[in-house]
Amino acid sequence: MRQTTLVEARPAKVGQSRRRLEISDVTFKWILLLPAVLAVIALLIFPFLFTLGVSFTDWHLFNRGAPINFVGFKMWASVLSSKYIHTTTLNTLGFVATAVPIEFGLGLLVALALNEATRGRSFFRVFFLMPLMISPIAVVFIIGRLMLHEDIGAVNAILMKLGFERVMWLSDPMTARFTIILVDVWQSTAFMILMFLAALQSLPQEPYEAAIVDGSTALQRFRYITLPLLGPVALTATLIRGLDAFKVIDIIYALTGGGPGQATESVTLTVYRTGVKGGDIAFGSAAAYLLLILMALFAFLLMLAMRRWVRRTTD
Amino acid sequence: MARQRRLKQIVAYTILFFWTLVVAIPTYWLVITAFKLPQDINARATFIPWVDFTPGLHAFQDVFIRQGLVNSRPFLNSIVVALSTAALSTVIGGAGGYALARFPFQIGRFSNDRIAFGFLIQRMFPPAVLLIPFLLLYRRLGLLDTLSGLVLVYCAFSIPFVVWMMRDFFRTIPVEIEESALIDGCDRVGVLFRIAIPLSAPGVVTAFVLVMIGSWNEFLLALTFMFNKAVTVPLFLTLQTSVQYGTQYWNMAVIAIFSVLPVVIAGLALERYITRGLTFGAVK
Repeated sequence: MRQTTLVEARPAKVGQSRRRLEISDVTFKWILLLPAVLAVIALLIFPFLFTLGVSFTDWHLFNRGAPINFVGFKMWASVLSSKYIHTTTLNTLGFVATAVPIEFGLGLLVALALNEATRGRSFFRVFFLMPLMISPIAVVFIIGRLMLHEDIGAVNAILMKLGFERVMWLSDPMTARFTIILVDVWQSTAFMILMFLAALQSLPQEPYEAAIVDGSTALQRFRYITLPLLGPVALTATLIRGLDAFKVIDIIYALTGGGPGQATESVTLTVYRTGVKGGDIAFGSAAAYLLLILMALFAFLLMLAMRRWVRRTTD
Repeated sequence: MARQRRLKQIVAYTILFFWTLVVAIPTYWLVITAFKLPQDINARATFIPWVDFTPGLHAFQDVFIRQGLVNSRPFLNSIVVALSTAALSTVIGGAGGYALARFPFQIGRFSNDRIAFGFLIQRMFPPAVLLIPFLLLYRRLGLLDTLSGLVLVYCAFSIPFVVWMMRDFFRTIPVEIEESALIDGCDRVGVLFRIAIPLSAPGVVTAFVLVMIGSWNEFLLALTFMFNKAVTVPLFLTLQTSVQYGTQYWNMAVIAIFSVLPVVIAGLALERYITRGLTFGAVK
């Protein structure tokens, strides 16, 4: 099928060999990229800025006909001084600060074990990935509704058989927070396992060989070689998982609906409640931006730590 | 040395065994719940089929035959939404990723790496910030409770991800193959369709599957914009827990199993490739 004559008639230079369709590289590359860029500008960047704008007004969806006024930082002030927002912000921060370290620790532990395993490694790896594929809502149903049901769940049944008291997984505020973390850990530890295992398997072998020759113990090799080399991946994993944890809503909405009271309500759920359900879109917008600022701060601090780590290891 | 090694293996397999139980027991519990009769759930916890309860197919009959029509709607919706979102964002995002991998760009002070990073950052933004503008827009355009509305907002979130992922993928394919095709007289479009896409087929499939899984599982946006006609599976599952006459755990278990099966199969089949997509290329 090669058109020999056409090719021979044409100088064999990359720059001139594509006249047939009459599009230049410049046109072509923009045709490819432009849809994605336009989609992002129209569907993400513009809405982001719009929300910022709304947060400086007193726009309420259910006040039909009322004029929308620009009120400056008034809405921000009411968000920042609202007890409701304080509670849900603390809940969110508490969730991130508890769930992510637990997942980090368990994930690292399981990944190290997987890395040591000689038999059945691919089975375990695939099996452990499963919770990550399932929707959080299904996870809530499996863990929260079936396993941890206060009356008919498997866990309470076993606990009571062993002579313990029945645990009120959802009706006590502190326990409900713990239950939400438990559900998240069941699902998202898989992500940490994935990250750490991939990192462990791409570690260079030379430092280990040298350390063995120098007569080091396994513990020393772990402490002085493995851990430092895992640093960058550990920070990246924390960054991705942490940012995801800040956005938590599915688990909470489906498991406790934010209750009892507001003990488990997250900021995203507050935005949904006030802005979408309550129609107070100005308040909701400001609350959403508060979440964005918290996440940006978290990302900034982690990036700073990462930069410092890289500098220290390259020095 | 040999003893140390043996000890390490024992510790490693203890941990693996423990985590296998953690993952397996709830899964087992979900599956047996689907085969239980109401009284074996509501009266007390029952653990082993044929020992403390007799398994039956009544929940499957309920879900598929008696309530088949009601239950099929959210599944059909989810299939349509997941496939359209995956197709649209793979095409648009894949094209963008290819462009960023192969051509030099300059938008103001931003060159390729910066533009790609700009796409990645979108992925980190909280959807909470998008709820309100989309709500206002959809009210105006009549897109609330429509499948096309849901596909549009899902594409907004998945296109940046696909761009980032596919750029990463295209960059691992040696550019020389495409250059020699150009010299042989293939045009740019031909190079893209006959060489670049076939060579990066695993990447294209992974992007497609990951977006599909993501839209199949997404909850918050579906909750905000859909309420009746265009309800998707996760939303349907939450609505079922608040049915008036108490939750029918057996039926929900059947629905949950079928909501989970397609994504688990797709995900596990592509496990090798998916790792890279999920870690944003942080780990190769």
